[in-house]
Amino acid sequence: MALFPVISNFQYDFVLQLLPVDTDNTMDEVAAAAAHHSVGRRVAPRPDKVVRVRRQGDEQFFPRDARLHETGIKPMETLEFIFCDR
Amino acid sequence: MALLDRAEWYDIARATNWTPKYVSQAELFPDLMTGAQGVPMEKWEVYDEPYKTSYPEYVRIQREKDAGAYSVKAALERSRIFEDADPGWRSILKSHYGAIALGEYAAMSAEARMVRFGQAPGMRNMATFGMMDENRHAQIQLFFPHEYCPKDRQFDWAHKAYHTNEWAAIAARHAFDDLFMSRSATDIAVMLTFAFETGFTNMQFLGLAADAAETGDFTFASLISSIQTDESRHAQIGGPALQVLIANGRKAEAQRLVDIAIARAWRIFCILTGPSMDYNTPLEHRKQSFKEFMQEWIVGQFERSLIDLGLDLPWYWEKMIAEFDYQHHAYQMGLWFWRPTLWWNPAAGVTPECREWLEEKYPGWNATFGKCWDVITDNLLNGRPELTAPETLPIVCNMSQIPICAVPGDGWNVKDYPLEHEGRLYHFNSEIDRWIFEQDPARYRDHMTLVDRFLAGKISPPNLLGALIYMNLQPGEMGDDAHGYSWVEKFREPAKAAAE
Repeated sequence: MALFPVISNFQYDFVLQLLPVDTDNTMDEVAAAAAHHSVGRRVAPRPDKVVRVRRQGDEQFFPRDARLHETGIKPMETLEFIFCDR
Repeated sequence: MALLDRAEWYDIARATNWTPKYVSQAELFPDLMTGAQGVPMEKWEVYDEPYKTSYPEYVRIQREKDAGAYSVKAALERSRIFEDADPGWRSILKSHYGAIALGEYAAMSAEARMVRFGQAPGMRNMATFGMMDENRHAQIQLFFPHEYCPKDRQFDWAHKAYHTNEWAAIAARHAFDDLFMSRSATDIAVMLTFAFETGFTNMQFLGLAADAAETGDFTFASLISSIQTDESRHAQIGGPALQVLIANGRKAEAQRLVDIAIARAWRIFCILTGPSMDYNTPLEHRKQSFKEFMQEWIVGQFERSLIDLGLDLPWYWEKMIAEFDYQHHAYQMGLWFWRPTLWWNPAAGVTPECREWLEEKYPGWNATFGKCWDVITDNLLNGRPELTAPETLPIVCNMSQIPICAVPGDGWNVKDYPLEHEGRLYHFNSEIDRWIFEQDPARYRDHMTLVDRFLAGKISPPNLLGALIYMNLQPGEMGDDAHGYSWVEKFREPAKAAAE
């Protein structure tokens, strides 16, 4: 368990933001932390969607229950947060 | 006693190169300081400054200019322009003075380097006057806002900004250090006077003076016009220096300096002038959009100058022009959303009428930037102002030191341009910013952005409040909405009608 900074690039938002998360967080928890700084502030909520996480440029998302320390994500890597159906 | 005409003595008096006897030429003029790139001194003697003046002429004209600007100020001291002007206009003044005034002192130091290490006698002459110009610009742009300090302490940042770690001040210092504080005489001639001054400040000051007159702020209009006349003279130092470099087989290096300088100048211009023209200037006073201004004055001007000199357009020219459509809108949103981190009060500039204008000038604005402003406006209308305030830091570009941002909403294209160098991960706003870094990584690699400093534990407490303390923003200085959110009311009636 350790504080871990990543970069949030949230779909439909205009700016990259600093996102302090924890190595034990699941991808769903990381997505919720990113949404806190974008959704309802500059990005309209989409309650019918879930937010999935992927590396910038990747097609594939990380599994929703994968923990940060299991993913190989590096500190200050840019992650994309995308609205998905599931 | 009759005096000779200047043309009869100027060329002889200007020929001040000499052959040193007690030290070597290389010791007197080290290449590191001259930036002559191995072009021998005699080759520089063909340098012919397009604008010639003598010291007595210079002093007489400058005295008249100062007398003009100061007398307009004195005559209008009791006018109510400060109180009556739109708050958006006051924000333009504050951002301008803080970002520019002390930078003029830095430019004076750069001109002094050309005075001492310029290889061409004509360059040394011109730079001597340029040095005195910049001193005048710093002093006059500190003196004029000083009068406003008792009325509004944000004006104190005209002098204070550069002495702080406020993020925009870091961005200005980083760019100006790179463009002219830590460059050789020749590099300064190319990067400061040719790229930055001819291309951007000269034009910006013309536009700004016109805007000031339109707003009724004749004090600022006369001040800016007075400065611009100096700029248009000493900005001509760079052109002949480029001609010498190109004639002596140094085109590639000259091109590289120009390309770096235009890119860096564009970022500053984009964040300072873009939001000023398209958001802070009251709608009724807008003559043209920032994009129209850039296309008409900057692109046309640069393309002509570059091609006339035998240079090429920068490799990124089309990419930069594409940014005219969106980059300053993104910067504006960042400035407004992180408004407590500014020394001025940004105007939102998004009333229904403003949005109509933005959509007309930038088709698609409502579906992109408008989508974010919809959420912001909705929060303000519905009593959720806390959601219009930031709770984290934006990621700052390792080159421009400005947040990395682009198009939101339907045209979402925000992207990091990362680079791993010697084990450190850097982040850039665009390919252009990353390319500058790659030109000379050792020059840039050790600089820490505000976010890097935050992560290194230099900001305490490690939150937004700590960042504000680190930036030396005191209560009464932190930015807030220029109009006290009154613009939101213009949405209330239509919203109520829609609900019914």
